[in-house]
Amino acid sequence: MEKIKFYFKTFLLVELLKGLALTGRYLFARKITVQFPEEKTPQGYRFRGLHAQRRYANGEERCIGCKLCEAVCPALAIKIEVAEREDGTRRTTQYDIDLTKCIFCGFCEESCPVDAIVETRIFEYHGEKKGDLYYTKPMLLAVGDKHEAQIARDRADDAKYR
Amino acid sequence: MLKIEIDGKMVETRKGSMVIEAAQQAGIYIPHFCYHKKLSIAANCRMCLVEVEKAPKPLPACATPATDGMKVHTHSEMAVKAQKGVMEFLLINHPLDCPICDQGGECQLQDLAVGYGGGESRYQEGKRVVMHKDIGALVSTEEMTRCIHCTRCVRFGQEIAGVMELGMAFRGENAEIMSFVNSTVDSELSGNMIDLCPVGALTSKPFRYTARSWELSRRKSVSPHDGLGSNLAVHTKDNKVARVVPIENEALNECWLSDKDRFSYEGLNAPERLAKPMLKQDGKWLEVEWQAALEYVANGLRQIKNSAGAEHVGALATPHSTLEELALLQKLMRGMGSNNVDFRLRQSDFSADGKRYGVPNLGMSVADLNTRDRFLLVGSFLRKDHPLLAQRIRAAVKNGAQASIVHSASDELLMPVAHTAIVAPGELVNELAQVLKALATIKQTALSAEAQSATVSVVVAPGAQAIAQSLSSGERVAVLLGNFAQQHPQATQLALLAANIASLSNASFGYLGEAANSVGGYVAGAVPKDGGLNAAQMLAQPRKAYLLLNVEAELDTHDAQQAMAAMQGADMVVAMSAYKHHATQYADVLLPIAPFSETSGTFINTEGRVQSFKGAVRPLGEARPAWKVLRVLGNLLDVPGFEYETSEAVRDEMLTGYSSARLNNALNGVALQPISVATHNGLQRVSDVPIYSSDALVRRAASLQKTRDAQTPVVSMHSSELAKLGVQSGDTVKVTQGNASVRLHVSANDRQPVGTARVAAGHAATAALGAMFGTINVERA
Repeated sequence: MEKIKFYFKTFLLVELLKGLALTGRYLFARKITVQFPEEKTPQGYRFRGLHAQRRYANGEERCIGCKLCEAVCPALAIKIEVAEREDGTRRTTQYDIDLTKCIFCGFCEESCPVDAIVETRIFEYHGEKKGDLYYTKPMLLAVGDKHEAQIARDRADDAKYR
Repeated sequence: MLKIEIDGKMVETRKGSMVIEAAQQAGIYIPHFCYHKKLSIAANCRMCLVEVEKAPKPLPACATPATDGMKVHTHSEMAVKAQKGVMEFLLINHPLDCPICDQGGECQLQDLAVGYGGGESRYQEGKRVVMHKDIGALVSTEEMTRCIHCTRCVRFGQEIAGVMELGMAFRGENAEIMSFVNSTVDSELSGNMIDLCPVGALTSKPFRYTARSWELSRRKSVSPHDGLGSNLAVHTKDNKVARVVPIENEALNECWLSDKDRFSYEGLNAPERLAKPMLKQDGKWLEVEWQAALEYVANGLRQIKNSAGAEHVGALATPHSTLEELALLQKLMRGMGSNNVDFRLRQSDFSADGKRYGVPNLGMSVADLNTRDRFLLVGSFLRKDHPLLAQRIRAAVKNGAQASIVHSASDELLMPVAHTAIVAPGELVNELAQVLKALATIKQTALSAEAQSATVSVVVAPGAQAIAQSLSSGERVAVLLGNFAQQHPQATQLALLAANIASLSNASFGYLGEAANSVGGYVAGAVPKDGGLNAAQMLAQPRKAYLLLNVEAELDTHDAQQAMAAMQGADMVVAMSAYKHHATQYADVLLPIAPFSETSGTFINTEGRVQSFKGAVRPLGEARPAWKVLRVLGNLLDVPGFEYETSEAVRDEMLTGYSSARLNNALNGVALQPISVATHNGLQRVSDVPIYSSDALVRRAASLQKTRDAQTPVVSMHSSELAKLGVQSGDTVKVTQGNASVRLHVSANDRQPVGTARVAAGHAATAALGAMFGTINVERA
């Protein structure tokens, strides 16, 4: 009995038709291919992309140079130097992230007590030379300044789960 | 011994000890803030509450004496609840912004809050704020709001430093730690308050915000300053010394560190550091390669040796150099055929040379100082020259010992002094002879024939009588000669008299070592032998060439004027130094050598303890450890026996056969000179080396130079002398010695003996003057 079934299946190309049916289904189904860069996939508010340094509404930088992100960074991508500013507050004189080292784990953001270092939704950045991906404090602050609205919205969305 | 049970563990403890100590013996940790083993018990933080069976309430472990059969629970429900409650109270006013606090990461409160506190604060109300006050260049009170009122700093000042410079003012919530109105904390031990503070209220000003504790690498080292040889932990970051903290060593520095040891690291990173060898050519300084510099030195030395003879080369080193450096320096000189090598640059009396039984030293162990019941301190600026030895003597005095002083200046020692005899430097010998004579009378012992004849014309004054009385009543007496007595032109006579006093009163007799390697210099053999010239002779009879190791000729020598003249007249001066200093005026070659943090080496402290250390960071630029430089120089000059691979090889060679038996203060064949009342025309100079001018490193420590102790020296004289000159305290006067004069402010000090003028040495402001002792002329400017 099994043999006869097999015999007919072989001659009637049942498997082939099954496979072609699947192909056909996809041929007529709605396409899921995203036409990057014209189209983009949706992102969650927890997306971990390019880093940014934030400021308070009055323009004061948030970072207080506590060095927790530097300490927690598993890839040792962060380098911080701290000094006392003229007004007596603790501020960074150097805050560098080597994005070629960074593994985008988000620990820096988690450890930050003042939400100064954050990871934004930006993932389409590039460098033409190796050094281009070594982000310094002014570069990070510039990213933050440019995307503050989005960053703030994302933190607000996430806040209820914390 | 008592038996108590802590958390089910039986502990045997001595009678009178507190529960917290017993717990420590058993290895059980009880959280605490205000308790410190070296300070009195305050029991005001309440963190150490534990449950004691049969006690209705939790008791503070630090203030509850252990009793036989006591049962203590440190982790029971009651104890944990009490500890958690106390922590909540402590955190009511303590800001919770650890990330901006400099103590973050090494904070006792932070650690204990994690271990014993709640997860969240219930406190919603406003927190109290304390304004910071400026209390000096070393200790920052910027974050005084963080204070939890444990009063460790206050108790430290009262009990250890001997002066209460911080206190708690106001009450209740308004209580705050502050100094007296507008005054700074000037104690030479003030840095210890930073270590003691369990929170971030008192932090180090120079270190502030420069690094986190977890970024620092810790290296063991030994203090290169005073003779104590404090054990240091050098904390480094990015190949730079970031700070220095003590390593506990009960036999030496206990858990303390003097400010000099703690903050001198700033000098290691000073901008004047020399990073490349330099040669002077046609009056201009050029940076050159090591090879060129060393060949220049070797050729120069060889030429002078061939033309004038090796005895025209002299080598001077500071006693802050390591054993290895001093050893190779003397070996190099002797290999070249010159015996002119010395490290005792500030001494002026060398008549004991060749007549010593052994190496002069403290004559007892450092820890032994605490157990003495009578002290005779001869010619010592104790507090400033030996801050931590002073602390030990202070502790002994607190336990009932009597300290008597024979000196030419009456500085505050911050301890009750039994008797003092403050006389002009010229009468110091006479004064000491009086003590000896009085002591012999009291003890009813005949003096040796020599001492008898020397003191025959000595008349005992009441002051000396009182000192002798005090010494004779003691059982464990210590007679100690300070730096001033060692630098005195009659140092050997003083030593002989002191030794005689010591033998009459059954005392230990010793020298308070001036610098880190004052004993090591003798062990290394860096002293003239067989007709070589000593430091004073080398400068008085100018040589054609000088090798200077760490020396700044105008600051480190007994007679700055003479030293500068000798340097300027020499054909070749080779300055091995970590700094580009005044030697640019007289030297021909500057060789950059590594300071203590960048080289391996050994110091032998004043009690004869050998302590080796390794470099904490790499040498700056092209600087090299001095022992390597000397080794290569030895090779270039074809001196045999310079095949050392490591500094340890040099050390082991020097220390073969070294034991405490080599330490001996006795003199052989030096006679006491007949003592009479000295007559002296004009003012006698009394000079100390200010605490922050003592060596090249501290002179460049920026923060120490901002302290009160580092202010420009003033001329200090008795008010009757000022009246004679017709000047007032605060006026500028012209001080002349030899062929140079300087202008300094004058201040009246009625504790200064009449006929003396105190003018500090070792400071740029007085470097033009001459010898540390002798006649000095002060006139209206």
